Amino acid sequence: MTAVAGPPSTTAAVPETAPPAPAPPRRRRRGPVAYAVYVGLLVLVAVFLAPLLVIAINSFKSASDFAAHGPLALPHGWHLSTITRFWKQVDFGTKLLNSLEISAAVAVLGTALALLNSYAIGIGRVRGRAVFLVFFLMVNVVPQEGLVYPLYYMAKQVNLYDSKLAVIIIFTVIQSAFGTYLLSSVLAEFPAEIIEAAEIDGANSWRTLTRIVVPMSWPTLSVMFTFFFIWTWNEFFLPLVFLISNDNQTVPVGLAVLQGQHLMDVTATSASALLGVLPALLFFLVFQRTLTRGIAAGALK
Amino acid sequence: MRFRSLSHPRRALVALAAASLALAGCSSSGGSSDAKPGGTKDYKGKTLTLWHYEGADSAMGIAWNQAIKDFKAKYPGVKVKFEAKGFEQIRKNASMILNSDSAPDILEYGKGNGTAGLLSKLGLLTNMTDVVKNYGWDKKLSASLQTTARYTKGIMGSGDWYGVPNYGEYVMVYYNKKMFAKYGVQVPTTFDQFVSVLDTFKQKGVTPLANAGAEYPAQQIFYELALSKADRQFVNDYELYQHKVDFHGPELTYAAQTFADWVNKGYIAKDSANLKAQDMGNAFEQQKNPIMISGSWWYGSFKNEIKNFDWGTFLFPGNKMDPGSSGNLWIVPTKAKNKSMAYDFIDITMQPDVQNLLGNSGGVPVAADVSKITDPKNKELIQNFDTLSQRDGLAFYPDWPTPSYYDTLVAGVQELMNGSKSPSAFLDSIAKPYHDYVAQIGK
Amino acid sequence: MTLSVSTTKSSRAAAGPRPGRRPARRNARRGVRRPGRRGYSLYLLPGLVLSCVVIVVPVIANVGLSFTSWPGVGNPEWIGTRNYQRLFQDEDFWASFRHTAAIVLAMAIVPTVLGLVLAAVLFDYVAKRFSSRSATLFRSALYVPQVLPVAVSGIVWSWLLLPDGAVNTLAKDIGLGGLARDWLGDPNSALPSVLGIMVWIQLGYPVVMFMAGLQRVNPELYEAAEMDGAGWWQRFRRITIHQVRPELYVVLATTTIAALKTFAQVFVLTRGGPGNATLVPSYFAYRSFFENADVGYGSAISSIMVVLILVVGAVFVRLQTRADQEGRR
Repeated sequence: MTAVAGPPSTTAAVPETAPPAPAPPRRRRRGPVAYAVYVGLLVLVAVFLAPLLVIAINSFKSASDFAAHGPLALPHGWHLSTITRFWKQVDFGTKLLNSLEISAAVAVLGTALALLNSYAIGIGRVRGRAVFLVFFLMVNVVPQEGLVYPLYYMAKQVNLYDSKLAVIIIFTVIQSAFGTYLLSSVLAEFPAEIIEAAEIDGANSWRTLTRIVVPMSWPTLSVMFTFFFIWTWNEFFLPLVFLISNDNQTVPVGLAVLQGQHLMDVTATSASALLGVLPALLFFLVFQRTLTRGIAAGALK
Repeated sequence: MRFRSLSHPRRALVALAAASLALAGCSSSGGSSDAKPGGTKDYKGKTLTLWHYEGADSAMGIAWNQAIKDFKAKYPGVKVKFEAKGFEQIRKNASMILNSDSAPDILEYGKGNGTAGLLSKLGLLTNMTDVVKNYGWDKKLSASLQTTARYTKGIMGSGDWYGVPNYGEYVMVYYNKKMFAKYGVQVPTTFDQFVSVLDTFKQKGVTPLANAGAEYPAQQIFYELALSKADRQFVNDYELYQHKVDFHGPELTYAAQTFADWVNKGYIAKDSANLKAQDMGNAFEQQKNPIMISGSWWYGSFKNEIKNFDWGTFLFPGNKMDPGSSGNLWIVPTKAKNKSMAYDFIDITMQPDVQNLLGNSGGVPVAADVSKITDPKNKELIQNFDTLSQRDGLAFYPDWPTPSYYDTLVAGVQELMNGSKSPSAFLDSIAKPYHDYVAQIGK
Repeated sequence: MTLSVSTTKSSRAAAGPRPGRRPARRNARRGVRRPGRRGYSLYLLPGLVLSCVVIVVPVIANVGLSFTSWPGVGNPEWIGTRNYQRLFQDEDFWASFRHTAAIVLAMAIVPTVLGLVLAAVLFDYVAKRFSSRSATLFRSALYVPQVLPVAVSGIVWSWLLLPDGAVNTLAKDIGLGGLARDWLGDPNSALPSVLGIMVWIQLGYPVVMFMAGLQRVNPELYEAAEMDGAGWWQRFRRITIHQVRPELYVVLATTTIAALKTFAQVFVLTRGGPGNATLVPSYFAYRSFFENADVGYGSAISSIMVVLILVVGAVFVRLQTRADQEGRR
């Protein structure tokens, strides 16, 4: 795949245009400007991570500690009880599994669907592809409030109201639309000779897709997979509408239980935030590795 | 005529809607009048699906847990599937949920025209008038408590019973005894004394009133001030649309002016305009403000969480009426599958042992035996409520008149607080949506 | 972009004519045409069908509902364009769209520009002068706000911005006491505060996207430029921005549209207040749907938003396709 006009890292398959095997990076002199920049970045990072820190310290406070000293004071004594009490109260284990199930399903199915769409648009170059691109972009960006009532009635008709499947289907469509938009411009730059070589070898479009295009697009596909997972994990509005039984609820919806009509269980909310964020964070860290590995693999080719 | 030109999906949509309405109509006519208490009912192997959104440690949570145990004991072999729900989810999606097969048998829901009233108008709630008479619940609830349980065409006050309240709530004054002692201040018994208490604190550099402008507290203080000049008819006009409300009349003008004065004088911090209710509670707990005018729903949390100072409550001095009403209602959806079980469960929550437990846990029961309440502070809380309820002093809440009035009032009071609107302009800004809505519903 | 294309073409040419190839290569510049491959359209089928069912049908239904009055249950009542008439007279409606313009600035333009600069700084400057590991760590830190649920970070920020919260306390401690104010409660600073938080949330996304794009860049380009005497800023302008053009379009398009749809941040931070100082169309629609049970009115707002977003999206795709074609010449 050429390095031209393709969004996120596609250097995996760049036979002729990959940067040559990188020379060991020359360490430049670190002048005072460099240090100033570094410090500036550290300050920025501190500002960025401060809220996470606030969440963390509130997760370990007891309720009366919070009452007496407020949200921004350090805990007077570290209590794990808040976290354990919250875990049971909200049945966090079930919620985690539900979120995992839905996010993973959407990530896989969404990526696959985007791949199929982009294959047709980017490599197959079907007629009217600009129209399709606009169509898919629109599918992704339609505001969700307007969709809710019609989707609710449709789901009730097919007995999918209050089911995870409904949520999975809806988000697969929404996320894959974005993926199509993203991936099709990447695949548009896929080296033609490789496709044609495959054709000559007698491969049909399916073989070409699975044997050649997928492996070579792996970095972009894994980026999409990760984004879809994280975005779906944090979705609140549509799951709130469609997941009614407590057994079906995802983490963000389940956490809404802590926000009462008049009162909010603050320490439990912080604990839940901490626990809810960890899987997504984990996913992101894993994504870092895939990204770097993908680049390295491409450079070696 | 335009109807016929609907596109296919629209037609299907309308057909679906019509079908569900028909279904809703069907199930509400039968089944409710033959529910009677007592007798040997066999619920063996059946499951009651019950939802509520009160915290497990709250008074209601504790009392209702006991009710579930009592229910299981009384009807051997019955199962209770209880789900703790989020308030936001229920409030926002109630009409969708109750219009589907996922509706539970019984759930807690908000009282008022915009909530239970609306659902009853949409045909989603079971008419429980006969049930209530059979079980005798109407004898346990005072007239002013019944107002929020009965709705005619979605407006409360009279008509059929669509919900049963189990507990009550009202707005009063919480105060920090330690700080009162420190500044040599006595509990006021008249309104003028109250103002001089506020002034004393202010002179000493302490902002006396905890407040939250981004949520319900600020508007409830405003309403409390209006009530100091109002009579029952005013409340009936405002809440039940009996007559047209003059937003520049004495009650509301006084309230707007006084509220603005209090902000200017510093009794209410100007920068509390964007605080949330939780922030206000925190401020009281952290002793930043010695006085908090808010509802009985804080009582339980304060009891559990405040450990380092002594505190108490008193009714707002000088007022005959205060914001307050019955608590949330038990409602039985028209699509509920086990209605008679639901009614028997409600009955259990109205029994003395559950009601007394509610009172002893820091809540405000509607039918408890006050002599069985052990803690004197709890007793005072409940007695104050009974006083209010007996003298028809429950004036509901300022945001009830229209479904979007909560947001209107929050926005308006915020502008009053930061001075971007004068009291008169503020009153105009909240008058228009009110009158528009009343016109829209044909009153 | 230009460099790589010419490399591609030259290597292709260098390969010479291959046996058994189709002779017609008229459209070599626009990419390869594969005439007669009708099978590819089939791949679009599942995507199109699902999209129609899940999105298109509801959108059409939504537009239809905007001409009715309906509380969500029962029969919708046809009222023609009354919802729209009411909408155009509604002060809140206009206010919400005014705020949208500001939000587009805060959620699209500022994060994109800032993100690009940061990505370049991290990739080019920090990675070279310190280590690529520290660059990666910085990037991860900047992405954290994207991973936090908005509901939670909203609550935390509302604590930090309390009149006696951490931000004001810090300002006073370092001697900038004059800056302290009621960030979210003062109508003059409410919208800017919300915008600032939106930048905080959104910044990580462009940084990650651009850093990925920058990895495509041939380092020899930079070295050659440096040897020619180009400073960091010049290298940035001439090479970096040019190379990440595809990401630039994607990021701008997605962040702009996300800005148009903003809902969660406003909902959590200010509920549209104080007054209507931070009201946005999505939240306005949400209130109609779910708090006022006025589905017709909400649908009218949503329909207008859909049209607006459609226009913006189409513009972006147009720009992008044109840029792609130019790039290939």
